[in-house]
Amino acid sequence: MSDAAVRRAPGRIVRVLAVWYRHWRVYSNTFVANATPAVLEPTFLLVAVGLGLGRFIHQEFNGLEYSSFMAAGVLGSTCMYTASFESTYGAFIRLRYQKAYEGMLATPLTRADIFAGELLWCGSKGLLFSTIVCLVLALFGKVHTPWAVLVPAIGFFTSLLFGGLGFCVTSCVQNINHFQFYFTIGLTPLILFSGLMFPVQDLPYGLEYVAYALPMFHVIETFRLVVSGPAHSSVPWAWACPFVVLGLAGAFGTLGVRRMVGRLKA
Amino acid sequence: MHAPSSVPTLAVSARGVVKRFGELTAVNEVEIEIPRGVCYGLLGPNGAGKTTLSKMIAAVLPRDGGELKVLGLDPWTEQSEVKARLGVVMQGDVFDEDLDVGRNLEIYGRFYGLSGPAFREKVQGLLKFVSLEGRERGPVQALSGGMRRRLMIARALINDPEVLILDEPTTGLDPQVRHAIWGTLRQLKQRGLSILLTTHYMEEAAQLADRIGILFKGKLIAEDTPEKLIAAHLPPWVLEFDAQGQEALLEEFAQAASVERHGDRAFVFHAVEDTLRRWIAKGAFRTALVRPASLEDVFLKLTGRTLDE
Repeated sequence: MSDAAVRRAPGRIVRVLAVWYRHWRVYSNTFVANATPAVLEPTFLLVAVGLGLGRFIHQEFNGLEYSSFMAAGVLGSTCMYTASFESTYGAFIRLRYQKAYEGMLATPLTRADIFAGELLWCGSKGLLFSTIVCLVLALFGKVHTPWAVLVPAIGFFTSLLFGGLGFCVTSCVQNINHFQFYFTIGLTPLILFSGLMFPVQDLPYGLEYVAYALPMFHVIETFRLVVSGPAHSSVPWAWACPFVVLGLAGAFGTLGVRRMVGRLKA
Repeated sequence: MHAPSSVPTLAVSARGVVKRFGELTAVNEVEIEIPRGVCYGLLGPNGAGKTTLSKMIAAVLPRDGGELKVLGLDPWTEQSEVKARLGVVMQGDVFDEDLDVGRNLEIYGRFYGLSGPAFREKVQGLLKFVSLEGRERGPVQALSGGMRRRLMIARALINDPEVLILDEPTTGLDPQVRHAIWGTLRQLKQRGLSILLTTHYMEEAAQLADRIGILFKGKLIAEDTPEKLIAAHLPPWVLEFDAQGQEALLEEFAQAASVERHGDRAFVFHAVEDTLRRWIAKGAFRTALVRPASLEDVFLKLTGRTLDE
Protein backbone atom coordinates (compact mmCIF):
# COMPACT_ATOMS: atom_id res chain seq x y z
CA MET A 1 0.00 0.00 0.00
CA SER A 2 2.88 2.35 0.77
CA ASP A 3 4.17 2.52 -2.79
CA ALA A 4 0.75 3.14 -4.33
CA ALA A 5 0.31 6.75 -5.42
CA VAL A 6 -1.95 8.76 -3.17
CA ARG A 7 -5.36 9.15 -4.76
CA ARG A 8 -6.22 12.74 -5.57
CA ALA A 9 -9.72 14.15 -5.78
CA PRO A 10 -10.85 15.05 -9.30
CA GLY A 11 -11.08 18.76 -10.09
CA ARG A 12 -14.25 20.76 -9.61
CA ILE A 13 -15.34 20.60 -13.24
CA VAL A 14 -15.00 16.81 -13.36
CA ARG A 15 -16.95 16.56 -10.10
CA VAL A 16 -19.80 18.78 -11.30
CA LEU A 17 -19.94 16.93 -14.63
CA ALA A 18 -20.09 13.61 -12.75
CA VAL A 19 -23.22 14.82 -10.97
CA TRP A 20 -24.64 15.94 -14.30
CA TYR A 21 -23.83 12.51 -15.72
CA ARG A 22 -25.71 10.82 -12.86
CA HIS A 23 -28.85 12.75 -13.78
CA TRP A 24 -28.39 12.06 -17.48
CA ARG A 25 -27.99 8.34 -16.78
CA VAL A 26 -31.16 8.17 -14.70
CA TYR A 27 -33.04 10.30 -17.18
CA SER A 28 -31.99 8.46 -20.31
CA ASN A 29 -33.29 5.20 -18.78
CA THR A 30 -36.80 6.57 -19.10
CA PHE A 31 -36.21 9.01 -21.91
CA VAL A 32 -39.38 8.37 -23.89
CA ALA A 33 -41.67 8.61 -20.86
CA ASN A 34 -39.97 11.81 -19.76
CA ALA A 35 -39.66 13.59 -23.07
CA THR A 36 -43.04 12.75 -24.58
CA PRO A 37 -45.17 15.10 -22.44
CA ALA A 38 -42.54 17.79 -22.78
CA VAL A 39 -42.98 17.71 -26.54
CA LEU A 40 -46.69 16.96 -26.73
CA GLU A 41 -47.83 19.64 -24.29
CA PRO A 42 -46.50 22.62 -26.24
CA THR A 43 -47.68 20.97 -29.45
CA PHE A 44 -51.22 20.66 -28.11
CA LEU A 45 -51.09 24.23 -26.84
CA LEU A 46 -49.98 25.46 -30.22
CA VAL A 47 -52.58 23.43 -32.10
CA ALA A 48 -55.55 24.08 -29.80
CA VAL A 49 -55.00 27.68 -28.80
CA GLY A 50 -52.85 28.93 -31.62
CA LEU A 51 -54.54 27.36 -34.61
CA GLY A 52 -57.97 26.78 -33.04
CA LEU A 53 -58.62 29.92 -31.04
CA GLY A 54 -56.33 31.86 -33.33
CA ARG A 55 -58.76 31.46 -36.24
CA PHE A 56 -61.22 33.68 -34.37
CA ILE A 57 -58.61 36.31 -33.62
CA HIS A 58 -58.34 38.47 -36.69
CA GLN A 59 -56.21 41.10 -35.06
CA GLU A 60 -52.43 40.90 -35.41
CA PHE A 61 -50.30 41.01 -32.25
CA ASN A 62 -46.93 42.74 -32.65
CA GLY A 63 -47.47 42.37 -36.39
CA LEU A 64 -47.85 38.58 -36.13
CA GLU A 65 -50.81 36.28 -36.63
CA TYR A 66 -51.83 34.72 -33.35
CA SER A 67 -50.05 31.34 -33.41
CA SER A 68 -46.76 32.93 -34.46
CA PHE A 69 -47.16 35.44 -31.64
CA MET A 70 -47.55 32.56 -29.17
CA ALA A 71 -44.47 30.65 -30.38
CA ALA A 72 -42.00 32.51 -28.14
CA GLY A 73 -44.23 32.02 -25.11
CA VAL A 74 -44.53 28.31 -25.72
CA LEU A 75 -40.73 28.04 -25.72
CA GLY A 76 -40.51 30.08 -22.53
CA SER A 77 -43.14 28.14 -20.64
CA THR A 78 -41.61 24.80 -21.64
CA CYS A 79 -38.25 25.79 -20.13
CA MET A 80 -39.89 27.32 -17.07
CA TYR A 81 -41.91 24.23 -16.18
CA THR A 82 -39.11 21.77 -16.97
CA ALA A 83 -36.57 23.56 -14.77
CA SER A 84 -39.12 24.27 -12.05
CA PHE A 85 -40.25 20.66 -11.65
CA GLU A 86 -36.66 19.41 -11.62
CA SER A 87 -35.49 21.91 -9.01
CA THR A 88 -38.52 21.65 -6.70
CA TYR A 89 -40.23 18.24 -6.64
CA GLY A 90 -37.21 16.47 -8.15
CA ALA A 91 -34.63 17.96 -5.78
CA PHE A 92 -36.93 17.62 -2.76
CA ILE A 93 -37.56 13.93 -3.42
CA ARG A 94 -33.84 13.29 -3.79
CA LEU A 95 -33.14 15.27 -0.63
CA ARG A 96 -35.89 14.04 1.65
CA TYR A 97 -37.13 10.66 0.41
CA GLN A 98 -34.33 9.06 -1.58
CA LYS A 99 -31.51 10.58 0.46
CA ALA A 100 -29.52 10.48 -2.76
CA TYR A 101 -27.26 13.32 -1.62
CA GLU A 102 -26.09 11.48 1.51
CA GLY A 103 -24.29 8.84 -0.52
CA MET A 104 -22.85 11.45 -2.86
CA LEU A 105 -21.48 13.44 0.06
CA ALA A 106 -19.28 10.53 1.15
CA THR A 107 -17.36 10.93 -2.12
CA PRO A 108 -15.05 13.82 -3.09
CA LEU A 109 -18.16 15.82 -4.07
CA THR A 110 -18.83 18.92 -2.02
CA ARG A 111 -22.33 20.24 -1.39
CA ALA A 112 -21.71 22.99 -3.92
CA ASP A 113 -20.63 20.41 -6.55
CA ILE A 114 -23.86 18.47 -6.05
CA PHE A 115 -26.15 21.44 -6.58
CA ALA A 116 -24.07 23.04 -9.31
CA GLY A 117 -24.39 19.70 -11.13
CA GLU A 118 -28.15 19.68 -10.52
CA LEU A 119 -28.48 23.20 -11.87
CA LEU A 120 -26.40 22.30 -14.91
CA TRP A 121 -28.78 19.41 -15.46
CA CYS A 122 -31.78 21.77 -15.25
CA GLY A 123 -30.12 23.92 -17.88
CA SER A 124 -29.42 20.91 -20.10
CA LYS A 125 -33.01 19.74 -19.93
CA GLY A 126 -34.15 23.22 -20.91
CA LEU A 127 -31.68 23.18 -23.78
CA LEU A 128 -32.96 19.83 -25.00
CA PHE A 129 -36.66 20.63 -24.67
CA SER A 130 -36.46 24.10 -26.19
CA THR A 131 -34.65 22.56 -29.15
CA ILE A 132 -37.37 19.94 -29.62
CA VAL A 133 -40.16 22.51 -29.26
CA CYS A 134 -38.38 24.80 -31.71
CA LEU A 135 -38.32 21.95 -34.25
CA VAL A 136 -42.06 21.45 -33.72
CA LEU A 137 -42.58 25.19 -34.24
CA ALA A 138 -40.51 25.10 -37.42
CA LEU A 139 -42.63 22.21 -38.64
CA PHE A 140 -45.71 24.42 -38.26
CA GLY A 141 -43.88 27.26 -40.02
CA LYS A 142 -43.71 29.47 -36.94
CA VAL A 143 -39.96 30.11 -37.04
CA HIS A 144 -39.18 33.19 -39.11
CA THR A 145 -35.47 33.94 -38.65
CA PRO A 146 -32.25 31.91 -38.82
CA TRP A 147 -31.34 33.38 -35.43
CA ALA A 148 -33.50 30.58 -34.07
CA VAL A 149 -30.27 28.56 -33.87
CA LEU A 150 -29.81 30.47 -30.59
CA VAL A 151 -32.95 28.91 -29.09
CA PRO A 152 -31.03 26.09 -27.31
CA ALA A 153 -28.74 28.62 -25.61
CA ILE A 154 -31.69 30.74 -24.50
CA GLY A 155 -33.42 27.58 -23.29
CA PHE A 156 -30.33 26.72 -21.27
CA PHE A 157 -30.09 30.07 -19.50
CA THR A 158 -33.85 30.34 -18.97
CA SER A 159 -33.71 26.97 -17.22
CA LEU A 160 -30.77 28.06 -15.07
CA LEU A 161 -32.89 31.04 -14.04
CA PHE A 162 -35.94 28.97 -13.08
CA GLY A 163 -33.77 26.17 -11.67
CA GLY A 164 -32.11 28.66 -9.33
CA LEU A 165 -35.47 30.14 -8.38
CA GLY A 166 -36.82 26.63 -7.74
CA PHE A 167 -33.80 25.86 -5.50
CA CYS A 168 -34.53 29.00 -3.46
CA VAL A 169 -38.06 27.72 -2.88
CA THR A 170 -36.93 24.15 -2.16
CA SER A 171 -34.42 25.39 0.40
CA CYS A 172 -37.32 26.77 2.49
CA VAL A 173 -39.94 24.08 1.98
CA GLN A 174 -40.53 21.40 4.64
CA ASN A 175 -43.59 19.75 3.13
CA ILE A 176 -43.71 18.62 -0.49
CA ASN A 177 -47.32 19.85 -0.87
CA HIS A 178 -46.21 23.43 -0.33
CA PHE A 179 -44.71 23.50 -3.82
CA GLN A 180 -48.27 23.89 -5.06
CA PHE A 181 -48.27 27.43 -3.67
CA TYR A 182 -45.17 28.23 -5.69
CA PHE A 183 -46.64 26.80 -8.88
CA THR A 184 -50.04 28.45 -8.44
CA ILE A 185 -49.09 31.79 -6.96
CA GLY A 186 -45.58 32.12 -8.35
CA LEU A 187 -45.49 30.55 -11.79
CA THR A 188 -49.04 30.58 -13.18
CA PRO A 189 -49.26 34.42 -13.19
CA LEU A 190 -45.95 34.45 -15.07
CA ILE A 191 -47.60 32.45 -17.83
CA LEU A 192 -50.70 34.65 -17.83
CA PHE A 193 -49.14 38.11 -17.53
CA SER A 194 -45.80 37.93 -19.30
CA GLY A 195 -46.87 38.25 -22.89
CA LEU A 196 -47.46 34.62 -23.76
CA MET A 197 -51.14 34.89 -24.73
CA PHE A 198 -51.45 38.61 -25.40
CA PRO A 199 -49.07 41.59 -25.64
CA VAL A 200 -48.50 43.17 -22.24
CA GLN A 201 -47.77 46.69 -23.53
CA ASP A 202 -51.53 47.25 -23.91
CA LEU A 203 -52.45 46.25 -20.35
CA PRO A 204 -54.47 48.91 -18.47
CA TYR A 205 -53.73 50.65 -15.14
CA GLY A 206 -49.96 50.53 -15.61
CA LEU A 207 -49.97 46.74 -15.27
CA GLU A 208 -47.55 46.68 -18.19
CA TYR A 209 -44.84 47.92 -15.82
CA VAL A 210 -45.56 45.02 -13.47
CA ALA A 211 -45.08 42.70 -16.44
CA TYR A 212 -41.75 44.33 -17.29
CA ALA A 213 -40.57 43.47 -13.76
CA LEU A 214 -41.33 39.76 -14.22
CA PRO A 215 -38.44 37.57 -15.42
CA MET A 216 -40.76 35.69 -17.77
CA PHE A 217 -41.43 38.82 -19.85
CA HIS A 218 -37.72 39.08 -20.64
CA VAL A 219 -37.51 35.37 -21.41
CA ILE A 220 -40.39 35.52 -23.88
CA GLU A 221 -39.09 38.70 -25.54
CA THR A 222 -35.68 37.05 -25.93
CA PHE A 223 -37.21 34.01 -27.60
CA ARG A 224 -39.33 36.30 -29.78
CA LEU A 225 -36.22 38.15 -30.95
CA VAL A 226 -34.69 35.00 -32.38
CA VAL A 227 -37.84 33.15 -33.50
CA SER A 228 -39.88 36.02 -35.00
CA GLY A 229 -37.32 38.79 -35.35
CA PRO A 230 -36.79 42.19 -33.69
CA ALA A 231 -39.53 43.81 -35.82
CA HIS A 232 -42.11 41.89 -33.75
CA SER A 233 -40.87 42.79 -30.27
CA SER A 234 -43.30 44.17 -27.72
CA VAL A 235 -41.06 47.05 -26.63
CA PRO A 236 -38.36 49.06 -28.42
CA TRP A 237 -35.82 48.08 -25.79
CA ALA A 238 -36.28 44.33 -26.39
CA TRP A 239 -32.57 44.07 -27.31
CA ALA A 240 -31.85 44.42 -23.56
CA CYS A 241 -33.99 41.40 -22.63
CA PRO A 242 -31.32 38.73 -23.40
CA PHE A 243 -28.95 40.51 -21.04
CA VAL A 244 -31.60 40.62 -18.31
CA VAL A 245 -32.12 36.86 -18.76
CA LEU A 246 -28.37 36.23 -18.55
CA GLY A 247 -28.06 38.39 -15.45
CA LEU A 248 -31.03 36.78 -13.72
CA ALA A 249 -29.77 33.30 -14.63
CA GLY A 250 -26.42 34.10 -12.99
CA ALA A 251 -28.00 35.71 -9.95
CA PHE A 252 -30.74 33.14 -9.24
CA GLY A 253 -28.48 30.23 -10.18
CA THR A 254 -25.81 31.29 -7.69
CA LEU A 255 -28.30 32.16 -4.98
CA GLY A 256 -30.22 28.91 -5.47
CA VAL A 257 -27.08 26.74 -5.20
CA ARG A 258 -25.99 28.63 -2.07
CA ARG A 259 -29.39 28.21 -0.47
CA MET A 260 -29.42 24.46 -1.14
CA VAL A 261 -25.87 24.10 0.22
CA GLY A 262 -27.10 25.79 3.40
CA ARG A 263 -30.09 23.50 3.57
CA LEU A 264 -28.01 20.33 3.21
CA LYS A 265 -25.66 21.47 5.97
CA ALA A 266 -28.49 21.68 8.47
CA MET B 1 9.24 3.17 2.02
CA HIS B 2 10.26 5.88 -0.36
CA ALA B 3 7.53 8.22 0.78
CA PRO B 4 8.68 11.63 2.00
CA SER B 5 9.03 12.09 5.74
CA SER B 6 5.98 14.31 5.80
CA VAL B 7 3.69 11.33 5.14
CA PRO B 8 1.67 11.02 8.33
CA THR B 9 1.76 7.76 10.26
CA LEU B 10 -1.63 8.49 11.74
CA ALA B 11 -4.84 7.72 9.91
CA VAL B 12 -6.80 9.95 12.24
CA SER B 13 -5.81 12.38 14.95
CA ALA B 14 -8.28 14.44 16.93
CA ARG B 15 -7.45 17.00 19.58
CA GLY B 16 -10.14 18.71 21.58
CA VAL B 17 -12.72 18.15 18.84
CA VAL B 18 -16.10 19.71 19.62
CA LYS B 19 -19.45 19.56 17.83
CA ARG B 20 -22.57 21.33 19.04
CA PHE B 21 -26.16 21.15 17.86
CA GLY B 22 -27.80 24.17 19.47
CA GLU B 23 -27.68 23.62 23.23
CA LEU B 24 -26.46 20.05 22.93
CA THR B 25 -22.73 19.34 22.85
CA ALA B 26 -22.74 16.12 20.84
CA VAL B 27 -18.95 15.69 20.81
CA ASN B 28 -17.06 17.26 23.68
CA GLU B 29 -13.28 17.76 23.47
CA VAL B 30 -12.49 14.33 22.09
CA GLU B 31 -8.87 13.19 21.69
CA ILE B 32 -8.22 10.22 19.45
CA GLU B 33 -5.21 8.87 17.62
CA ILE B 34 -5.62 6.04 15.15
CA PRO B 35 -2.33 4.78 13.71
CA ARG B 36 -2.36 3.44 10.17
CA GLY B 37 -3.29 -0.21 9.80
CA VAL B 38 -5.19 -0.26 13.07
CA CYS B 39 -8.84 -1.13 13.55
CA TYR B 40 -10.26 1.28 16.10
CA GLY B 41 -13.59 0.45 17.70
CA LEU B 42 -15.65 3.34 18.95
CA LEU B 43 -18.16 2.08 21.49
CA GLY B 44 -21.01 3.96 23.03
CA PRO B 45 -24.72 3.84 23.71
CA ASN B 46 -27.13 5.45 21.25
CA GLY B 47 -26.77 9.21 21.34
CA ALA B 48 -23.20 9.11 22.68
CA GLY B 49 -21.88 11.03 19.68
CA LYS B 50 -20.37 8.12 17.71
CA THR B 51 -22.10 8.96 14.45
CA THR B 52 -21.40 12.68 14.81
CA LEU B 53 -17.71 12.03 15.43
CA SER B 54 -17.44 9.60 12.54
CA LYS B 55 -19.19 12.06 10.22
CA MET B 56 -16.67 14.76 11.13
CA ILE B 57 -13.85 12.31 10.42
CA ALA B 58 -15.57 11.28 7.16
CA ALA B 59 -15.46 14.94 6.07
CA VAL B 60 -19.22 15.35 5.74
CA LEU B 61 -19.81 17.45 8.87
CA PRO B 62 -17.88 20.54 9.98
CA ARG B 63 -16.62 20.71 13.58
CA ASP B 64 -17.10 23.60 15.99
CA GLY B 65 -13.69 23.43 17.61
CA GLY B 66 -10.44 21.54 18.07
CA GLU B 67 -7.97 20.09 15.64
CA LEU B 68 -8.81 17.16 13.41
CA LYS B 69 -6.55 15.53 10.85
CA VAL B 70 -7.35 12.61 8.58
CA LEU B 71 -4.27 11.26 6.77
CA GLY B 72 -2.61 14.50 7.79
CA LEU B 73 -5.26 16.68 6.09
CA ASP B 74 -8.04 18.80 7.51
CA PRO B 75 -11.26 16.92 6.71
CA TRP B 76 -13.30 20.10 6.35
CA THR B 77 -11.13 22.60 4.51
CA GLU B 78 -9.63 19.83 2.34
CA GLN B 79 -12.76 17.69 2.21
CA SER B 80 -12.53 16.56 -1.39
CA GLU B 81 -8.91 15.41 -1.01
CA VAL B 82 -9.70 13.61 2.24
CA LYS B 83 -12.82 11.96 0.85
CA ALA B 84 -10.88 10.77 -2.21
CA ARG B 85 -8.90 8.53 0.17
CA LEU B 86 -11.70 7.34 2.46
CA GLY B 87 -14.28 4.62 2.19
CA VAL B 88 -17.46 5.19 4.16
CA VAL B 89 -20.21 2.81 5.19
CA MET B 90 -22.85 4.98 6.81
CA GLN B 91 -25.96 3.86 8.63
CA GLY B 92 -29.09 3.44 6.56
CA ASP B 93 -27.79 1.95 3.28
CA VAL B 94 -28.45 4.99 1.12
CA PHE B 95 -28.21 4.04 -2.53
CA ASP B 96 -29.29 5.77 -5.67
CA GLU B 97 -32.73 4.16 -5.97
CA ASP B 98 -33.01 5.35 -9.57
CA LEU B 99 -30.05 3.21 -10.67
CA ASP B 100 -29.48 -0.54 -10.74
CA VAL B 101 -26.83 -2.32 -8.65
CA GLY B 102 -24.02 -2.07 -11.20
CA ARG B 103 -24.74 1.55 -12.14
CA ASN B 104 -24.77 2.49 -8.46
CA LEU B 105 -21.12 1.49 -8.37
CA GLU B 106 -20.28 2.93 -11.79
CA ILE B 107 -21.78 6.34 -11.11
CA TYR B 108 -20.27 6.40 -7.64
CA GLY B 109 -16.88 5.74 -9.24
CA ARG B 110 -17.32 8.80 -11.44
CA PHE B 111 -17.51 10.96 -8.34
CA TYR B 112 -13.90 9.83 -7.75
CA GLY B 113 -13.04 10.47 -11.38
CA LEU B 114 -13.02 6.73 -12.15
CA SER B 115 -14.33 5.26 -15.40
CA GLY B 116 -13.23 3.14 -18.35
CA PRO B 117 -12.67 -0.59 -19.00
CA ALA B 118 -10.19 -1.13 -16.14
CA PHE B 119 -12.64 0.46 -13.74
CA ARG B 120 -15.53 -1.65 -15.00
CA GLU B 121 -13.42 -4.74 -14.38
CA LYS B 122 -12.82 -3.52 -10.89
CA VAL B 123 -16.56 -3.13 -10.31
CA GLN B 124 -16.96 -6.77 -11.33
CA GLY B 125 -14.22 -7.75 -8.91
CA LEU B 126 -15.86 -5.86 -6.07
CA LEU B 127 -19.27 -7.41 -6.75
CA LYS B 128 -17.58 -10.79 -6.59
CA PHE B 129 -15.75 -9.89 -3.39
CA VAL B 130 -19.08 -9.19 -1.66
CA SER B 131 -20.82 -12.17 -3.37
CA LEU B 132 -23.21 -10.08 -5.46
CA GLU B 133 -22.10 -11.24 -8.90
CA GLY B 134 -25.05 -11.70 -11.23
CA ARG B 135 -27.07 -9.01 -9.41
CA GLU B 136 -25.54 -6.26 -11.48
CA ARG B 137 -28.53 -5.37 -13.64
CA GLY B 138 -31.10 -5.84 -10.86
CA PRO B 139 -32.65 -2.96 -8.92
CA VAL B 140 -31.19 -2.15 -5.49
CA GLN B 141 -34.69 -2.34 -4.04
CA ALA B 142 -34.70 -6.09 -4.69
CA LEU B 143 -31.70 -6.71 -2.41
CA SER B 144 -32.10 -8.09 1.13
CA GLY B 145 -30.77 -6.18 4.12
CA GLY B 146 -27.57 -8.21 4.19
CA MET B 147 -27.01 -7.77 0.45
CA ARG B 148 -27.55 -4.04 0.70
CA ARG B 149 -24.94 -3.83 3.43
CA ARG B 150 -22.51 -5.85 1.34
CA LEU B 151 -23.13 -3.59 -1.64
CA MET B 152 -22.47 -0.65 0.66
CA ILE B 153 -19.09 -2.16 1.57
CA ALA B 154 -18.29 -2.75 -2.11
CA ARG B 155 -19.18 0.86 -2.85
CA ALA B 156 -16.95 2.07 -0.03
CA LEU B 157 -14.00 0.15 -1.54
CA ILE B 158 -14.37 1.53 -5.04
CA ASN B 159 -11.55 4.07 -4.65
CA ASP B 160 -9.08 1.73 -2.87
CA PRO B 161 -9.43 3.72 0.32
CA GLU B 162 -6.64 4.03 2.86
CA VAL B 163 -9.10 4.45 5.71
CA LEU B 164 -12.46 2.74 6.04
CA ILE B 165 -15.15 4.26 8.25
CA LEU B 166 -17.97 1.97 9.27
CA ASP B 167 -20.88 3.32 11.27
CA GLU B 168 -22.66 0.40 12.95
CA PRO B 169 -22.02 -1.94 10.02
CA THR B 170 -24.07 -4.89 11.29
CA THR B 171 -26.94 -3.22 13.13
CA GLY B 172 -30.24 -4.82 12.23
CA LEU B 173 -28.72 -7.85 10.49
CA ASP B 174 -29.23 -11.46 11.51
CA PRO B 175 -26.32 -13.37 13.13
CA GLN B 176 -25.24 -15.32 10.03
CA VAL B 177 -25.01 -12.18 7.93
CA ARG B 178 -23.22 -10.40 10.75
CA HIS B 179 -20.55 -13.09 10.89
CA ALA B 180 -20.13 -13.00 7.11
CA ILE B 181 -19.58 -9.24 7.23
CA TRP B 182 -17.09 -9.59 10.06
CA GLY B 183 -15.21 -12.07 7.87
CA THR B 184 -15.11 -9.52 5.05
CA LEU B 185 -13.89 -6.80 7.37
CA ARG B 186 -11.16 -9.05 8.76
CA GLN B 187 -9.90 -9.63 5.22
CA LEU B 188 -9.77 -5.90 4.64
CA LYS B 189 -7.89 -5.43 7.89
CA GLN B 190 -5.31 -7.96 6.77
CA ARG B 191 -4.78 -5.91 3.62
CA GLY B 192 -3.55 -3.10 5.82
CA LEU B 193 -6.57 -0.82 5.77
CA SER B 194 -7.05 1.49 8.71
CA ILE B 195 -10.57 1.05 10.05
CA LEU B 196 -12.75 3.18 12.29
CA LEU B 197 -15.68 1.13 13.47
CA THR B 198 -18.51 2.52 15.55
CA THR B 199 -20.74 -0.04 17.13
CA HIS B 200 -22.90 -0.82 20.07
CA TYR B 201 -22.22 -4.51 19.82
CA MET B 202 -19.52 -5.61 22.25
CA GLU B 203 -18.94 -8.78 20.32
CA GLU B 204 -18.29 -6.83 17.15
CA ALA B 205 -15.71 -4.65 18.86
CA ALA B 206 -14.06 -7.65 20.51
CA GLN B 207 -13.91 -9.53 17.18
CA LEU B 208 -12.42 -6.77 15.08
CA ALA B 209 -10.90 -3.91 17.03
CA ASP B 210 -7.24 -3.58 18.02
CA ARG B 211 -8.03 -0.55 20.14
CA ILE B 212 -11.26 0.54 21.71
CA GLY B 213 -12.52 3.92 22.78
CA ILE B 214 -15.64 4.34 24.87
CA LEU B 215 -17.67 7.41 24.05
CA PHE B 216 -20.25 8.55 26.56
CA LYS B 217 -22.26 11.78 26.41
CA GLY B 218 -19.89 13.18 23.83
CA LYS B 219 -16.74 12.45 25.84
CA LEU B 220 -14.13 9.76 25.32
CA ILE B 221 -14.06 8.23 28.81
CA ALA B 222 -11.64 5.33 28.23
CA GLU B 223 -9.34 4.06 25.53
CA ASP B 224 -6.99 1.10 25.20
CA THR B 225 -6.65 -2.40 23.77
CA PRO B 226 -9.62 -4.60 24.70
CA GLU B 227 -7.52 -6.67 27.13
CA LYS B 228 -5.95 -3.69 28.84
CA LEU B 229 -9.27 -1.92 29.05
CA ILE B 230 -10.67 -4.83 31.04
CA ALA B 231 -7.55 -5.21 33.18
CA ALA B 232 -7.45 -1.51 34.01
CA HIS B 233 -11.01 -1.22 35.18
CA LEU B 234 -12.04 -4.56 36.65
CA PRO B 235 -10.76 -7.67 38.42
CA PRO B 236 -10.54 -10.56 35.96
CA TRP B 237 -13.45 -12.65 37.22
CA VAL B 238 -17.09 -11.96 37.76
CA LEU B 239 -19.96 -13.70 39.49
CA GLU B 240 -23.26 -12.73 37.91
CA PHE B 241 -26.69 -13.52 39.39
CA ASP B 242 -30.31 -12.44 39.73
CA ALA B 243 -30.21 -9.75 42.40
CA GLN B 244 -33.85 -9.83 43.49
CA GLY B 245 -34.16 -10.58 47.24
CA GLN B 246 -30.40 -10.90 47.67
CA GLU B 247 -29.73 -7.54 49.35
CA ALA B 248 -28.15 -8.98 52.49
CA LEU B 249 -25.81 -11.16 50.48
CA LEU B 250 -24.84 -8.29 48.21
CA GLU B 251 -23.83 -6.24 51.24
CA GLU B 252 -21.72 -9.11 52.52
CA PHE B 253 -19.97 -9.51 49.16
CA ALA B 254 -19.38 -5.77 48.99
CA GLN B 255 -17.08 -6.05 52.04
CA ALA B 256 -14.64 -8.27 50.11
CA ALA B 257 -15.20 -7.48 46.43
CA SER B 258 -16.48 -4.80 44.12
CA VAL B 259 -20.17 -5.13 43.46
CA GLU B 260 -22.21 -3.60 40.65
CA ARG B 261 -25.92 -3.76 40.12
CA HIS B 262 -27.70 -3.05 36.86
CA GLY B 263 -31.43 -3.60 36.78
CA ASP B 264 -32.12 -7.05 38.20
CA ARG B 265 -28.62 -8.36 37.67
CA ALA B 266 -25.82 -8.23 40.21
CA PHE B 267 -22.13 -8.44 39.29
CA VAL B 268 -19.45 -9.33 41.85
CA PHE B 269 -15.88 -8.81 40.63
CA HIS B 270 -12.95 -10.61 42.15
CA ALA B 271 -9.36 -11.54 41.30
CA VAL B 272 -9.73 -15.20 42.19
CA GLU B 273 -12.09 -17.46 40.30
CA ASP B 274 -12.28 -20.09 43.09
CA THR B 275 -13.43 -17.54 45.63
CA LEU B 276 -16.36 -16.65 43.42
CA ARG B 277 -17.18 -20.33 42.91
CA ARG B 278 -17.31 -20.82 46.67
CA TRP B 279 -19.59 -17.78 46.99
CA ILE B 280 -22.11 -19.31 44.61
CA ALA B 281 -22.84 -21.90 47.27
CA LYS B 282 -23.77 -19.17 49.78
CA GLY B 283 -26.98 -18.13 48.10
CA ALA B 284 -29.95 -19.84 46.62
CA PHE B 285 -29.38 -18.20 43.26
CA ARG B 286 -31.79 -18.86 40.47
CA THR B 287 -29.30 -18.08 37.74
CA ALA B 288 -25.68 -17.64 38.62
CA LEU B 289 -22.47 -18.03 36.71
CA VAL B 290 -18.78 -17.28 37.12
CA ARG B 291 -17.08 -15.99 33.97
CA PRO B 292 -14.13 -13.81 32.91
CA ALA B 293 -14.83 -10.09 33.01
CA SER B 294 -15.75 -8.74 29.57
CA LEU B 295 -15.83 -5.49 27.67
CA GLU B 296 -19.51 -5.27 28.41
CA ASP B 297 -18.74 -5.23 32.15
CA VAL B 298 -16.27 -2.41 31.64
CA PHE B 299 -18.85 -0.56 29.64
CA LEU B 300 -21.50 -1.03 32.31
CA LYS B 301 -19.14 0.10 35.02
CA LEU B 302 -18.01 3.23 33.16
CA THR B 303 -21.33 4.37 31.76
CA GLY B 304 -23.75 2.86 34.24
CA ARG B 305 -25.91 1.59 31.46
CA THR B 306 -26.19 -1.18 28.94
CA LEU B 307 -25.25 -0.59 25.35
CA ASP B 308 -28.71 -1.03 23.97
CA GLU B 309 -30.35 1.54 26.22
